[in-house]
This record gives sequence, structure tokens and C-alpha cells, in this order.
Amino acid sequence: MLAKRRTLSLAKRGFDFEIFMWLFVRLSALAMYLFALIGLVGALIMGARTQVNFADLMRWTFMPDSNHVLMNTTLNNIANLDVWVTLFWKIMGSLFVTFAAAHGLHGLLSVVEDYLKNSAVRRFLRYFVLVLTVVGIAIAIYVVWTK
Amino acid sequence: MEVTLKIFRYNPETDKKPSYKSYKLDANEMDRVLDLLEKVKGYQDGTLSFRRSCAHGICGSDAMRINGMNRLACKTLIRDVGTRVTVEPILGLPVLKDLIVDMEPFFDNFRSVKPWFITADPEPEKERYQSPEARARFDDTTKCILCACCTTSCPSFWGSEKYVGPAAIVAAHRFIFDDRDQAAAERLQILNEATGVHRCHTIFNCTMACPREIQITKAIGEVKMAISTGILD
Ligand code: FES
Repeated sequence: MLAKRRTLSLAKRGFDFEIFMWLFVRLSALAMYLFALIGLVGALIMGARTQVNFADLMRWTFMPDSNHVLMNTTLNNIANLDVWVTLFWKIMGSLFVTFAAAHGLHGLLSVVEDYLKNSAVRRFLRYFVLVLTVVGIAIAIYVVWTK
Repeated sequence: MEVTLKIFRYNPETDKKPSYKSYKLDANEMDRVLDLLEKVKGYQDGTLSFRRSCAHGICGSDAMRINGMNRLACKTLIRDVGTRVTVEPILGLPVLKDLIVDMEPFFDNFRSVKPWFITADPEPEKERYQSPEARARFDDTTKCILCACCTTSCPSFWGSEKYVGPAAIVAAHRFIFDDRDQAAAERLQILNEATGVHRCHTIFNCTMACPREIQITKAIGEVKMAISTGILD
């Protein structure tokens, strides 16, 4: 006898903040590997092999903000500044910082949920971490776009 | 051979704080820790308190910390733990006396996941049939004896007893993956709250502690999967 598949629709089993963040934390980790790879390959295509020192290349890889390669003029020797400050890199930088901050600060939220017994303090810190995340991301994106 | 049992002692009526007392006994390497506790209580110190019932690893009464590991005293041989044995109550639950803890918070969590059969189907004449394959799906989690070894080995449970804990998730798993049961959605919703499966960080203490060798972390993973995908097969 072929057993029928048992599945529960999203509406039935509920889809809320907890499961959303549980999935987000896992998928954002994968996404960040991809972002880093794009940052690294992109930088090498833009001439980083001969024009950017290794430390700055790593900074750029893990956060493609043009400050990270353009400021260090004594060590870097960038031929074409414009390609490092394109719309594409601004979007990439914004995405990276959003994913990284949400991923990391959700870890802090987990610590709060894991170890605090007092529910009033827990609720306060829960909102505090959420506000911290939103404000942190907003500031970072502002920095990425105003240069 | 001579064995030294160092036992956690606490009587809330007379003691300000817990202490440890050592007892020396003559033992055989095939004796169980439970046998030695009985010897201490019978011949050396009648005030020693601990729970036990079946003495055969099936009632789950005598979970305790033996040399730092959660085990059943009735299933732990001296041969396996050596001649210096420290016995303490399981962690994360209030100690009532000596090795006896208050199990109520544990059972509250257990009850919260509705660990009973729920269906709206009319009662059949004889029984509700199930294929051997469908039964095998949740066989592992039927083995739980509610000793609390797993839940009280979990750092998330030590952090907050509001976390339902591995034992409750095992109990939920047993019904969620039972194809005759119809309340999987309800249970998944309960386990998707902040006090549910998301407090599990795959530490694996529970799997190591389980005297029934249930693959607990795997079962919790399957519940997480069911919450994410809705697939109950
Ligand atoms: S006394 Fe029953 S499980 Fe050990």
C-alpha cells in the first residue's frame, strides 16, 4: 500500500518570527559566503592583485565598502577609482551588512532567550536587541551610500 | 574491592546549604550504583533519600548525576565508573532532599506538548490499523521512560526551565510523526514558540545522556524540519 504523504500547509503550522529567523540565520550564513566570494572575485577583476594590499583586500571581501580600499593611499595604488564605487557595490555592501548584522544580533537574542529567566527583563532585552539591529543597519547603510 | 561513594546531601529542614558525605563500602565490580545506595541507606545512614522503583531501567525514577554524567543508578555498574564515585542530583530542577528533585517543572513541560493521541475520527470497531513502516517512523521516540536525564543535561534547560526540553520534544515527536494522530499542527505551533525547539543548539548532551539510547538530537532536528517544511513523513 502506498502511504499518502502527510504535509501541513504554512497556514496550519504557523509561520512566525521564530521560524523565520531560524531559517534566516541558516540561509544568511550561506548567502554571506556567496557575498564574500563575489567581493573577492570582483576585487580581483578590478585589479586588486596588483593595486590593493592583502589586508585591505580582505576588508573589502567581507564588506565591499569603497572606504576599505580607497583610504589607504600609501599602500594601495588604485588605477580606476570609479569601478569601486558603483551602484552594484553599494547594493552588495548594503545587503552584506544587513545580513551580517541581523545574523549576528540574532545570536545575541538567542543568548537572551536561552539564559534569562525573568520574563520582563527578557522582553525588554528582546526589543532592545531588535532596535539595536535596525538602528545599526540603518547607520551602516547610510555610511555605504553617502560617499 | 572497596568503593568510596561521595554523595550530595541536603535536608532543607536542617541544613543551610548542601554538603557532600563520603561512605566507604565493600563492593563487587558487577554491583550497580543503586545497589550501593541501598547498602548505604540500609546499613550506614538511614537518612539518605533517593528515588527508585523498578531497579531495572524502565520506570525512570533513579536518574542522577554519577561522576558528572546523567545516568540511571540501576543501569550503572561499578565496573564502568571506578571505585571513587560521586553521586549528585540531576541539574536544573529544585532539590527537595538529597538526590530527590522536584520533577513538576519537567512534567509541566512534558504536558505542554499534548503527549497523548488526538484524532477526530470516529472510534473504530477494533483498533486503528497502521502499517509497519508508518509505525517504524517514530519507533525510536516511543522508548522514552521520562527519567529526565536528557532535559537536565541540557544547558538551555539549565538556563531557563521554561524551555520545554528534549524529553518533551521527544514526546511530541512520537505523536507528530504518527500517521493516525491529527494534532501535529497544534504541537508544531507550541514547539515553534520561543520556548520550543529554537532553544536547542544541537549540543548533543541529551543524546549522550539518554539511558534508552534514543537519538534525541536527531528527533529534535526532525521536528525543526517539520516546522520549516510542513512535511510529516
Ligand atoms: S529504578 Fe526504575 S529506572 Fe532505575
